[in-house]
Amino acid sequence: MKNYVSNWLTQRFTAIILIPLTFWFVFQCLSFSEMNYSQIVLFFNSSLNSSLFLVMMVSMLLHSKIGCETILEDYVKSYKIKKISKLLIKTVSYFSIIIVIISIVILMDII
Amino acid sequence: MINKSPLSPHLSIHKKVMTALFSIFHRISGIGLSLGTLLIVVWTAFLALGPKYFNFIMHYYTTNFIFKIIFFIWLTGIFYHLFNGIRYLYWSLGIGMDLKTVHLSGYIVLFLTFISTIFVWFVI
Repeated sequence: MKNYVSNWLTQRFTAIILIPLTFWFVFQCLSFSEMNYSQIVLFFNSSLNSSLFLVMMVSMLLHSKIGCETILEDYVKSYKIKKISKLLIKTVSYFSIIIVIISIVILMDII
Repeated sequence: MINKSPLSPHLSIHKKVMTALFSIFHRISGIGLSLGTLLIVVWTAFLALGPKYFNFIMHYYTTNFIFKIIFFIWLTGIFYHLFNGIRYLYWSLGIGMDLKTVHLSGYIVLFLTFISTIFVWFVI
């Protein structure tokens, strides 16, 4: 496989991005638990919050995609299962990224 | 198809070494967090769909006892993976890799994970 190096770099780059954003989101979640629907929508109306959330989600999904692929690479022996699982992970990851982007665009437009 | 990929360590036949345990828990928490990420994706999508859908899923997330356990394990996993991940990041640069430092930073990871989880769950 040719993209080992770019995967290795992407894994570390997204990790560095995720360190501050994870703390940020954990603390946001604590306040989300006391907010109602319109208050949370208001949170996403702020372009700063939306951008941070989007960057976090995309980094997280890419990070987990590469991580899961690495684990598969190490422990799954069957070529067929490996190939199918990788396709599944890839599909779910990219599909999730698209869903998050569409959701954020909708949320920024509400109100 | 001949398997040409390098062999991973034979986990079951070796004495459990601290670094190996940390590594395997990093991977297990990573898989768990990946599944958690999908929960956030669902949450975001339902939020965008409207209050009816959002309240439906929030009702599940907040009143279901199983979700409360999931959230606690999730929080522990987040902090473990984050702090242990920081260790792997500077290992990538070749820093702090002698055995004594490795063991010390391992205990620091456990300590920070414990403190952070307790702090966020019970104090705030």
